[in-house]
Amino acid sequence: MKAKLIAATLVSGMFCTPLAAAELTVLTAGDQNMVDYVNEYLGPLFEKENPGTKVRVVGTGPGDAGSQKILERFEAQNKAGVAKWDADVAVVHEKFVGPMVEQKFLDAYRSKIPSGSLVTRENAKMALGTNVDGYVMPMFNSQTALAYNPALVPNPPKSYDEIVEFAKKNPKQFGYNGIKGGASGVSFVMGWIYAYGGDAQKLMNGPFDESETKNWDKAFASLKEFSRNATLTPGNAGTLDMLSRGEIAIGPVWVDMFYSWKANGQLPPEMKLVLPSPGMPGQPMHYVIPAKTANADLAQKFVALATSPKVQAEGIVKRFNWYPGIDAQYVQSNLDKDTWQKLFTDISPEELAKNGKPFPIAPYNKAILEAYERQVSN
Amino acid sequence: MSFQIDWKWIPRGIVLGLLAFIVFGPLTNLILWAVAERWYFPHVLPLKYGFSFWANVFSPRGNAMASLATSVLIAGLTVIVSLGLAIPAGYALARLRLPLRGLILLALLIPQAFPNLPVYVNIARIFYQYGLNGTILGVVLVHVTHGLVYAVWIATAAFSAIDRELEEAARSMGATALRGFWDVTLPIAAPGLLASAIFVFLESLDEFTGTYFVGAPDVTTLPLLLYTAGSGGNYQIASITALILLVPSIAFMFVVERFLRSDVLSKVGH
Amino acid sequence: MAGEGILSGQLLLLPPLAIERRWLPHEDRRKAGGVTGVDGRWSDMPIQLIGFLLVAPALAIVLLLFIVPLVSSVTGAFDVGGSVGLGNFTKAFELYSGDMLFTLVIVLLSSALIGLFSIMIGGYLTLGTNARAVAILRWIYRWPLFIPFIVVGQILRTFLAKNGLMNNIFIELGLMTPAAAMSFLDWRGIVVAFVWKQTPFVTLLLAGAMASIDQSTIEAARNLGARRVRILIEIVLPQVRQTLLVGLILSFVTMMSVLSVPLMINAQSPTMITANMAFRINAHGDYGVANALGLISLLMTSVAAMVYLRQTVREHSR
Repeated sequence: MKAKLIAATLVSGMFCTPLAAAELTVLTAGDQNMVDYVNEYLGPLFEKENPGTKVRVVGTGPGDAGSQKILERFEAQNKAGVAKWDADVAVVHEKFVGPMVEQKFLDAYRSKIPSGSLVTRENAKMALGTNVDGYVMPMFNSQTALAYNPALVPNPPKSYDEIVEFAKKNPKQFGYNGIKGGASGVSFVMGWIYAYGGDAQKLMNGPFDESETKNWDKAFASLKEFSRNATLTPGNAGTLDMLSRGEIAIGPVWVDMFYSWKANGQLPPEMKLVLPSPGMPGQPMHYVIPAKTANADLAQKFVALATSPKVQAEGIVKRFNWYPGIDAQYVQSNLDKDTWQKLFTDISPEELAKNGKPFPIAPYNKAILEAYERQVSN
Repeated sequence: MSFQIDWKWIPRGIVLGLLAFIVFGPLTNLILWAVAERWYFPHVLPLKYGFSFWANVFSPRGNAMASLATSVLIAGLTVIVSLGLAIPAGYALARLRLPLRGLILLALLIPQAFPNLPVYVNIARIFYQYGLNGTILGVVLVHVTHGLVYAVWIATAAFSAIDRELEEAARSMGATALRGFWDVTLPIAAPGLLASAIFVFLESLDEFTGTYFVGAPDVTTLPLLLYTAGSGGNYQIASITALILLVPSIAFMFVVERFLRSDVLSKVGH
Repeated sequence: MAGEGILSGQLLLLPPLAIERRWLPHEDRRKAGGVTGVDGRWSDMPIQLIGFLLVAPALAIVLLLFIVPLVSSVTGAFDVGGSVGLGNFTKAFELYSGDMLFTLVIVLLSSALIGLFSIMIGGYLTLGTNARAVAILRWIYRWPLFIPFIVVGQILRTFLAKNGLMNNIFIELGLMTPAAAMSFLDWRGIVVAFVWKQTPFVTLLLAGAMASIDQSTIEAARNLGARRVRILIEIVLPQVRQTLLVGLILSFVTMMSVLSVPLMINAQSPTMITANMAFRINAHGDYGVANALGLISLLMTSVAAMVYLRQTVREHSR
């Protein structure tokens, strides 16, 4: 009898799906801090405002791989003709929103929520060359920069040329993660091509011209040379980790991760940031809602809450050190001056405006990544 | 009593000490990280010891408890399914005359001979089409395939080691084939089957590659948690998870030490 | 499948091989073609059919979940966006030729080192004269056997880092200056991980085989005054060659399967192609190139696999 009971429990465990009153499934790409954001802040807040609901977040991993997993999942469910998809809200990198919109996976929900009108920035309408207007709400805007240890780097490099000089004089002190394991390294590579690969404006805005790729050969050759003098780290967290352990002196990081690690005590307080010219890309991450979600209303409420000025101020800026997704003026009024300024400690708004760039449009993006594998890492 | 110092112990000591460092150094590292709260360069040892990360790992909203439960559930189901398939198969291969027995054995041996990464990649793709990707059932199936190779062979060996005369005696007393199997054969084979059950359980608990492709991101087992924590730079959580994974393995080691004498192994291949 | 778990399974697989000679069923004392009880219920079903039905589910699982995906991996390698071609291979070579070479280097070097160390340890266990040293050695060397690869990856990652425990201990002991500290978290770290984990396994096999050879051969050589190293190389080793080969081949296949170690120690080039396959799938959804890389790894192991399968089948037909 006992054996049968145990067996029955185990079998039912195989097919178990937790049945709650209403469960909201959130898929999020990105590092652990993305999962923590929902688990520790947004989830409990939403559950408090909507009693009887439960928020379940699934992290799919850092970098493009995480968003790719979400895209694949949508493609699989689309192909299988599933009526109600298992994800209600997804948080993905902008690179993957284009394909999702083109394949008609998403609901144009932005006009249906109150905070939809609070964002006017261009990158909420165009994602790497594809028109996604109405399908996305930016969760935050992020930026990469070089983090460095002032004790080891008294004169931080302020341009890519100076970075090359620095690496020559201080071999292995510059660390980045290549194109695997996180987008901070990807961002560094894109910035390199902006600096040495020809027409940066064309890369950012299009049109896509196959022959443009030939202009990159020299840039990749010098990047290969540069990488010999640099250390390759395992990923976004890897670069920060090696910085804190003194194994490298400078490297590209996501600004929000930098501030969060400092706040957690994982990074020594004396570390600083510098944004080199001609610029390094940053990107928004977007909230999207699948068209065939089972909980459309709840999903829209969730995104509305997440992009409300109050939550953007308290959660995005104050707790997790991201630049807000909605327009700055709505958020700034909800914060005291010091907290707002904290975002701009090392990089002023002017520098951000000058050297903060978008990523290249999707076809160039893909071509650069492939050329890197072909010419630099092989 | 005079002490005669065996000077040969100097080179012996050095070599054994070196070996001990090689084997136990990394393990000590694991334990240190599991109890370290703050460990910065350039300090050789942690600055601050504590168990706060243990509280973090085992917190209700934390992933570790869920991952541990998932891991144990999957491992348990894997054992049940594997043994359920292996016992009849082993009995048939051991006792009953089968056509193409050699070919069957070869087929069951092939998974041992080829790297399994390409296989897992394609299983994940196939499972996507049937909605099995990211489900516990899918992961169990992958683990069962992995565990069957051993379970069948060990079951076969266990059954063929049983003296036929015992079964014949039961039969001649009026038992049916099934009853004879249940009451006579199975209990005698039980120790070997138990060993294979423990073994399949541990293999499933430690399995990473298959779960990485088929289970992630919905099904999180302890090895996947270890990997995510490690690559996120959170070495304390990674080390604590590693310790949790090690406990059943090391326990098994002490159990197996009693049975794996070199004379047993010497029978290998002869 | 060669896997990442404890013992990689091969250990418990090998004793059964020895017992298989007893698999040949006794000449039939029962009624030809049937299994009967007193009530003769099953007597109509031929024994072969019952046997087949009992084996079928297990076979089906292996067939469906291993052989079929294996075949689809091979065919998928030639699938270039819907049509058949070699495009995936050209791309794989363009992007990962360095890594393919390094995979071979890593695995062959590791195998050589594993062979060397296991011969040394096994030799001492067999020919060592001091009982206590032998006992200590026997206790120490087995520990890595029971540590799964994923844990090995994690612990070596912090141990072998530039400011990891190993370097720090050397610096503290004065064996090295801080400036000379070097990170092993590249392809060398992968070799270290494989050697660390697989040496105990091969040593265990080898020690067992060495313990069972005819002691008189060793005695005779010793009486003639041969030194132990010579006895090891000229007397013991030739007799245990078979076991060493099997152990090394199993290790070879295992190392080609492991994903966790390259991912955790070093996923940047040069690395194992397993890490590149995972990257291809996860970041790009590119099954074509991933399968091409998979086919290449299959080809690398096929030579070893042939030898292993032929060896094992030969054991059974004895």
